[in-house]
Amino acid sequence: MTVLATSVAPGRDLVMDRLMRIGRPFGIAIGYLWISLIYIPIVWLAVMSVSSRPLTGVPYPLSLEWYDALFSGDMRWSGPLERSLIIGLIVSALCMVAATLVGRVLPLLRRRGGLLAAYLAPLFVPGLVTGVSMFMFYRAFVGVKLGDWSLVLAHFVWAFPFALLAMLVVSSRFDTRMNEAASDLGATDWQRFWQIEVPLLRPGIIASGFFGFLLSFNELPLSIYMRAGQMTLPLHLWSESTAHQSSIPLIYGMSTLVTIASILIVVLALRLLFFRDAER
Amino acid sequence: MNPLPRLRQLAAGGGFIAPFTIVWVLGVLVPVLGIVVFSFFRSRGVTFIFEPTLAAYESTFSHAGWQVLLRSARITATVTLIELVVAYPFALWLAKSARSPLLKLATFTALTVPFFLSPTARTLVWRVILGRNGLINTVLLEIGIIDEPLDWLLFSETAVHFGFLGPYFPSMVWPIFLSITLIDDELIEASRDLGGGRFHTFWHVILPLSLPGIVAGMIFTFVPMMGDTVVPQTVGGGAVLMLSSEINSLFSVMNYPVAAAVSTFALLFVVLFQFVLWLVLQRSGGIAHVFESLRR
Repeated sequence: MTVLATSVAPGRDLVMDRLMRIGRPFGIAIGYLWISLIYIPIVWLAVMSVSSRPLTGVPYPLSLEWYDALFSGDMRWSGPLERSLIIGLIVSALCMVAATLVGRVLPLLRRRGGLLAAYLAPLFVPGLVTGVSMFMFYRAFVGVKLGDWSLVLAHFVWAFPFALLAMLVVSSRFDTRMNEAASDLGATDWQRFWQIEVPLLRPGIIASGFFGFLLSFNELPLSIYMRAGQMTLPLHLWSESTAHQSSIPLIYGMSTLVTIASILIVVLALRLLFFRDAER
Repeated sequence: MNPLPRLRQLAAGGGFIAPFTIVWVLGVLVPVLGIVVFSFFRSRGVTFIFEPTLAAYESTFSHAGWQVLLRSARITATVTLIELVVAYPFALWLAKSARSPLLKLATFTALTVPFFLSPTARTLVWRVILGRNGLINTVLLEIGIIDEPLDWLLFSETAVHFGFLGPYFPSMVWPIFLSITLIDDELIEASRDLGGGRFHTFWHVILPLSLPGIVAGMIFTFVPMMGDTVVPQTVGGGAVLMLSSEINSLFSVMNYPVAAAVSTFALLFVVLFQFVLWLVLQRSGGIAHVFESLRR
């Protein structure tokens, strides 16, 4: 490295060295402070959901009345929840199939760079712009009625890049000699795929399914434009929270349950994806 | 005829990727670029009238649309820079100095989980924490630090900046962390052995080699923040109009061409931003250079 041979101004560097040494603990502390900015509102959401006066931001006195109301009184969330679950499962299945079939071949292709860029393109465009564009294309230009199919499409566009990345974590480490060995031993293409590749790619397949489900289940910006009046759970929570102050306590309860479920699923998916080898 | 064998052949061979790519390009990428085209027409109801016109652009410049765009770009760029300054030292420590495996595992998980949470659920409660009658004002009044509730905690530009800080931290940390992890420890040791101090090693070895991570982090932070729907409307309220509220109000009056023009500008900002970062990367030798130096 030629840069190292150039002489330096030692005085300035010594000052900077000391600054870096002194600054390090502060850098670490501020990093964790920023992470806490993500989790403070989540924790406080859970606390507020068991507070009898949630709109004051102060927890006491505690009460479970909102959860009670959530499951006995105002059940308007059940329709949106059902729709979100069904769409989430469909998107999850689509992500598993598409990520597997694309991800297993992609690392071997010559033009993989360009293809990967095309698949990941939605990550480089704000979700809002994607939603607006797809609405105008399908509703106004092509002239089809939007509906559940367009929500599935929008969620798939949002989730597929992440599902593919999860698959590539596994498939780019795939030892292609396995396939050659299978073929040499007389396996048909299908046997090789189903009995060798799929089991080996399973952590990636399952993780892309989990990610596809969660990204669809919690998706908001694209759904706002790609629906025809139907409500998903995030749309329901969002419209209730902006329109009706009185239903906010219920939304806290519902959001808390959804958040806890989401965190459990992510942790499970991460374990599958990254910590399988360690357990063996 | 039994379609199963053909489906099996499609799955087990590489035959799926070509039709999928065609559908993806025509069904997703073409519509997204189509917005640029739509901004040059007029609409009646939900259909476009295909006579070229610049009316949408005149309208964008003559009413508040332009100011909203600039405000969105300014706030987004400011927060992106703050995130970079905070995330870099943290990512450097996490990649090269953090020792405890448990702490690293917990930190990785904490940085991954937020991507999959409902944006509404994790933002909503700021209102009752920061509000005029909320937690912070109540506590500060009780202790006696302030006599009047602080108004600027919620529904202000300060609040919007603050609301962005947490949610967009992981997207800056991850790419920087990954690019620093890829730097071979031997390069750093070599620099030290040759007499390079802490700062010298950082400035001449680590920083240039982690530039792709910085660029990726800035893109993955700036792009989604530019289109964020929840944070500006939750903590900014009606006081800080950003891109999402502008497009929402254009949609509610079915003014699609102007919504398309505003979106086109947003797309332009984002593409321009990414192009400048790409140029920076090229000037410093590009990604290829980094991989060559890694390959040894």
